[in-house]
Order: sequence, then structure tokens, then C-alpha cells
Amino acid sequence: MWTRESGGLVLTFHLAGINNQNFLMRDDQTGSYWQQITGEAVSGPLRGRRLTLVASDELSFGLWAAEEPGGAVLKSVPKYASDYEKKDWEVNMKKERIVLSFADPARGLEPRTLLLGIQAFGASRAFPYDAVIQEKLVLDRVGTEPVLLVVGPDGESVRVFRDRIPGTDGHPAFYRTLDDKQAHPKDAAWLKQATAGPLLMDEATGSEWNFQGCAISGKALGLCLEPIEAIKDYWFDWRNYNPKTTVYKRRQ
Amino acid sequence: MERTSRRAWGHPWFLLPLVLVSFAASIYPIYVIRPFRHQGPRELAAALEIIQIRPPIELACAILALGGLLWYWRVQPMVSRRRLAAAGAFLVCTFAVVTKVNIFELMFHPDTHPQFVSIQQAKVDADDMVMTVKIGGVAHAYPIRTMGYHHIINDVVGHEPIVATY
Repeated sequence: MWTRESGGLVLTFHLAGINNQNFLMRDDQTGSYWQQITGEAVSGPLRGRRLTLVASDELSFGLWAAEEPGGAVLKSVPKYASDYEKKDWEVNMKKERIVLSFADPARGLEPRTLLLGIQAFGASRAFPYDAVIQEKLVLDRVGTEPVLLVVGPDGESVRVFRDRIPGTDGHPAFYRTLDDKQAHPKDAAWLKQATAGPLLMDEATGSEWNFQGCAISGKALGLCLEPIEAIKDYWFDWRNYNPKTTVYKRRQ
Repeated sequence: MERTSRRAWGHPWFLLPLVLVSFAASIYPIYVIRPFRHQGPRELAAALEIIQIRPPIELACAILALGGLLWYWRVQPMVSRRRLAAAGAFLVCTFAVVTKVNIFELMFHPDTHPQFVSIQQAKVDADDMVMTVKIGGVAHAYPIRTMGYHHIINDVVGHEPIVATY
């Protein structure tokens, strides 16, 4: 998600082409073409400019509704609603062919492996989505900076935080305190309570943290971890724009 | 008498370069920037450059073609050759119009006037994924199954103009 202001103009974008299965956007105001994944103008009067990334999440609707009961949801366009993606569309997408080829057998990833890509602290790192979902809590590093990837109580949503409690030194270990075997993500009342309630505990302060990355008890009460942007992407696309990326391997 | 004394001009070859230039300028970018095809960096850069510079070129081709047709129509007594010239000029003008339309923008059915509903009114399953943003206390969600179809939503959230892309 990007701000759509550049060069003193508010831009309106349209999908205007494809660059190796990552789309190109054209703005009405200048006719410049922009690459979706990088937010960079690749042609036209604004060539070389970059849009500013807007912090966003990819969450299950149930979890988001529990967090933001007053939120607004994009409405379907009735004319096209019957053509929208089906429930199992991600399964079908895995069968779609790709147009990029690069020899990379060492990574052991299929081109359409879904991953969470992070560009931060001068490095790029990819976390296979399925591995994160199964592990529930991943403590790792991007570049030299420790981070944590946390799966929400719904078992679907993921948020990434910098592993540094504001005002303290060091990078404490975090533990998951939610009993996922007792989770009822389809129960809206349970999900609302679980979304605001304790999910993690850190060993440095013994504080409890919720899925928003904020401490809700203990010495760190009221403090929040710094969120880090993660992009859900296919391996072939991420690899194309992040050739030096490293890949997280699941603990055995 | 005057008509029959006019010499028969050759075929309207002068239109050929105009047809070829306008054809290439309108078709090459579509050929390169199309789905399910590998785009090389050079050809992509060329296609995008052509898109940027082609409007005045296409216009000039169309004006030259129409002017040429008028002249040729007056000096050419042979009806078949006049028709050939008219067809050539028509092609040049057609290509000039085609470049005004981005077929990809039509293909992907943009949601140009996005509307929003409350959580209670939304027809989205609890386990469906949504892209979410919160700015200035205003929270918007974009269902992935909808975004996978429209791909781009130009929105304003908390007075901030943003574009959600998928």
C-alpha cells in the first residue's frame, strides 16, 4: 500500500500493464508508469520517484473486525462480484505458470511458494508463510536486527515486530502464552477477547503482550514494539526484486 | 476531358511508412507488456518509452495521412487507388485512436468509485483475508478476493490519499 502523492500531485492509478507478473500502474495526472511492488516510477515525467509505503496488515476478516469494530470494508462491485476470486483461489494460483526462470535449487522453494518478505535494516529476508503459520512465533533476524513474527489467535494473521522493548537494552526472548489448541477463531466473542488479550510474554520484563505488539501487563505495561512491514508475495516475484534475499529455514 | 487527361499516379506508397510507424507505435507496447510473457528489461524500457513519446507521433502521422489522402484523391483519377489510399489513411487514424486506449485498463475492470460498508453489512467470511490500513483513527479493509480481481483501489483514509494494490 502506497501514498499516492508525488511531485506535489495527488495521483490516481490504473492497472496499465504487466512486468513479469508484477503489474505496472499508470497515473492519470502525468501518464507515468509505476512498478507495483517497488512503488517506483519506471517511465514518464515522474520517472525515478518513489511512493511512500503506508503501514498495512494482511489479517483475517474476523480478527480485523474484532480489532476495529467501527472499520469500513470495501464493497463488492455487483457487476463483477460473481467473477471475484473463489475461496480456494490461492490453491489454484499455485498451478499458474510463471514467466521468470532462474536456477536456484539450493533454496528448495517452488516459484509460487507464498512468503512474507521483509526489507528492513539494510537487508531482505523471506519467511515461507506456511512455516510461520505452523511455528506460531518465529524469533529471527533481518540483517543484524532481531525480529519476531507472530501469528494471531486466529491462526492466519501474521504481524512482525522489532525485538526491542522501547527504553531497554538487548533483545529479549519471547514466548507464546496463548494455548492454540484451545483456540476458537470462528467464535467472534472468543476472537475479540483473544485479540486484545495476552499472546506473548518476554523473559526480560515478564510482561504480557497482545497481537498489536503492546504490553498489557508487567513492567512494560503501555509500551508497544515497533511494527515492521512485511509483504506477502510469491517466491519468484520476491526473488526477482530482492536478488540478495536470504530465506528463513524452519527449525527442525 | 480534363479528367481523362490527368496522368495516372502510382500506388499511394507515401502512406506506407505512416501506416508502419503508427502500427508499430500502437502494437509494440501491447505485444511486450502483456500477461504470461517474460518481459526483458530492454524491450520493456523501449515499450514504455514508446508509450511516452507516441501521442504526438501518432497525431502527426494521422494529419499527414489525411492531408496526403486529400491531395492524392484530387490528383488520382483511378478509383481503386483512391480507395487504397483511403484505407491506408483510415488505418493510420485507427492506430492513433487505439493508442488513446489502454486495453489492460479495460481488461482488469477497475473499481473506479470504491464504496465502503460497515463490518455488519460486509459479505466477507471471518476466515477470509483482508488488507488493512489505519490512518488518523480511520480503519479500512480490502478483501483479498476482491483485490485479486480489481488489483488497485484509489482511496482516501483519514484525509490521506493512498492506493491499495494487490
